[in-house]
Amino acid sequence: MKTLTKLFARWRVQAYLDFMWMTRDFRFFLINIISDTILNLAGVTAVFLLAERFEGIGLWSRDQIVFMLGYAALVRGLLDMGFSYNILHISRRIGRGQMDHTLMQPQPVWMGLLTEGFMPFSGSWSLLTGIGIWTWAIFQLDAVFTLYWWLMFFCNLASSCAIVLSFSFAWGSLAFWAPVAAEEISSRAVNFMFQLKSFPLDGLSTYVLASMLTVLPVGFVAWYPCGQLLGIAPANLWHTPLVAMVFSLIAWILFKKGMQHYEQTGSQRYLGFGHRG
Amino acid sequence: MNRPDHNATSVSDIAVELTEVDKIFYQRQRSEKVRDVFKNLFRPNVREIRALQKVNLEIHCGEIVAYAGPNGAGKSTTVKLLSSVLAPTSGTVRCLGMDPMKDRVHYVKRIGVVFGQRTELWWDQPVAASFEWKRVVWDIPRDRYDAMLDFVKELLGIDAFFNSLARQLSLGQKMRADLALMLMHEPEILFLDEPTIGVDVLAKRNILDFIKNLNREKGVTVMITSHDMDELEQLAGRIVMIDKGHIAFDGDFGELRGQFGDRRHLVIETADTSPPKLSGVQFIESKSNRHHFTFDAAQISIPTLLDQAAEQTTIHDVETHRAPIDDVIADMYEYWDGKEG
Repeated sequence: MKTLTKLFARWRVQAYLDFMWMTRDFRFFLINIISDTILNLAGVTAVFLLAERFEGIGLWSRDQIVFMLGYAALVRGLLDMGFSYNILHISRRIGRGQMDHTLMQPQPVWMGLLTEGFMPFSGSWSLLTGIGIWTWAIFQLDAVFTLYWWLMFFCNLASSCAIVLSFSFAWGSLAFWAPVAAEEISSRAVNFMFQLKSFPLDGLSTYVLASMLTVLPVGFVAWYPCGQLLGIAPANLWHTPLVAMVFSLIAWILFKKGMQHYEQTGSQRYLGFGHRG
Repeated sequence: MNRPDHNATSVSDIAVELTEVDKIFYQRQRSEKVRDVFKNLFRPNVREIRALQKVNLEIHCGEIVAYAGPNGAGKSTTVKLLSSVLAPTSGTVRCLGMDPMKDRVHYVKRIGVVFGQRTELWWDQPVAASFEWKRVVWDIPRDRYDAMLDFVKELLGIDAFFNSLARQLSLGQKMRADLALMLMHEPEILFLDEPTIGVDVLAKRNILDFIKNLNREKGVTVMITSHDMDELEQLAGRIVMIDKGHIAFDGDFGELRGQFGDRRHLVIETADTSPPKLSGVQFIESKSNRHHFTFDAAQISIPTLLDQAAEQTTIHDVETHRAPIDDVIADMYEYWDGKEG
């Protein structure tokens, strides 16, 4: 309970910082909204146009595709909102020697990383775009959604976010050993996931598909959980949460190993930008 | 501040205790030759760097200790060991009765750390916002926070830019804001790693006065590193010099000066433009009829030198002063380098 209170207090202060930042310069604020919205719409437009032109893709109807695009945008939106200041791109913080700041705060490292990147206002435009697309799809789909379905929807959504975050942290941990060479590795990993997140992967060969669901788990960002949620594939709504647990465990082990290494070697370089705006 | 009598202090009086501390880093050495590409990749030469070697150090509560040494001597490594950022390779580090690595969360609540070239301020926010963030993350009770805010505002004069964006502050203002932010949780000990680097003379003086006041009024223990020896001499009663990972000197500034004799500067203004020939001194330069010398007052007295000069020319004026501490330290570094060579 005490931990939860601390978490909410930290999210609240980050929300305050974000609100103050966003409202300080209205012109900048508008540019921010417009560019984020355009970026997010552009990210899903190609697949949407294909689905519209061919009235669906493979087993997926047009509305199901839009649901998946909305889901993918929600994943991105949640991560952008919750893990900014280079927490999603953790290798930048590690490679630039900025973990020192986290270690000098009187809280567990996980608590700092879970709360410090929360930007509910300026970081929410991807999420709002996702909510818009996804809501539109929900009303178009001819289906009845039970309470269990809703619970599993949110569980799968959180799991997809956890998989992207774990993927970034697992690769990003390399920066503990190679701070310069691996400084941008989390960004590459996350961009890879986000660029491919909106594509239905049905037509791929078994081997490629297997790799997209294991070593490069891009299938779990949207395609696989949406297929399960919409009943396109044989439904087991627990697959994505289970995979998320496995990836989280791997990322946790690698990151912990990296932190142990960091405590022994420290960082021989320090760059001050990115982690505090 | 007088250095406390170590023999008379109890164990609980010790704020910092480093015992037989070693810190070793490993650095890959890469050859620039093309034929060594694979060796660089798979079996690179690894150089062992002993940043600290069997360091023993005690700092007592309420002391201000200057921690100095040439570049790469191990100053920042020591500060990092005491800031929960780095673990020692061997030996024990204790501060305020705790192990900085094992008790990190509780420990950092009781210490304050400032690295001169880093900031804890939120860059795109007003300074005030960083203070609010600090209050929450450090879990500072509101009444204590308000009282401390008044205290640091008065002591450091940050009111004038408290609502300005951090990125718009000058270096001196930024450092004052960082120092103020560091103090908000009322730390018992401060580790300041080159806190005046890059700041102008006035800002530097303000910062030094502030540290002295804080030590005097609140009894806060301070360990400060700097390359500016004059600054350290103004501030600290005790200086610990580190060289190549070893404690090379631990004492007060008077003793430090005595290490290389009592070095003085002598300026004699004479009737002639050519300098008098004085034995036992080192001639530096002549500017018109003012002649500059340096000498060791422990070896030769000033009256003897003036007698020598008076025999050769008419003396119009004489000035003598102690060599700046920077010169003493430079001699010391040179001596250490020579010993190594």
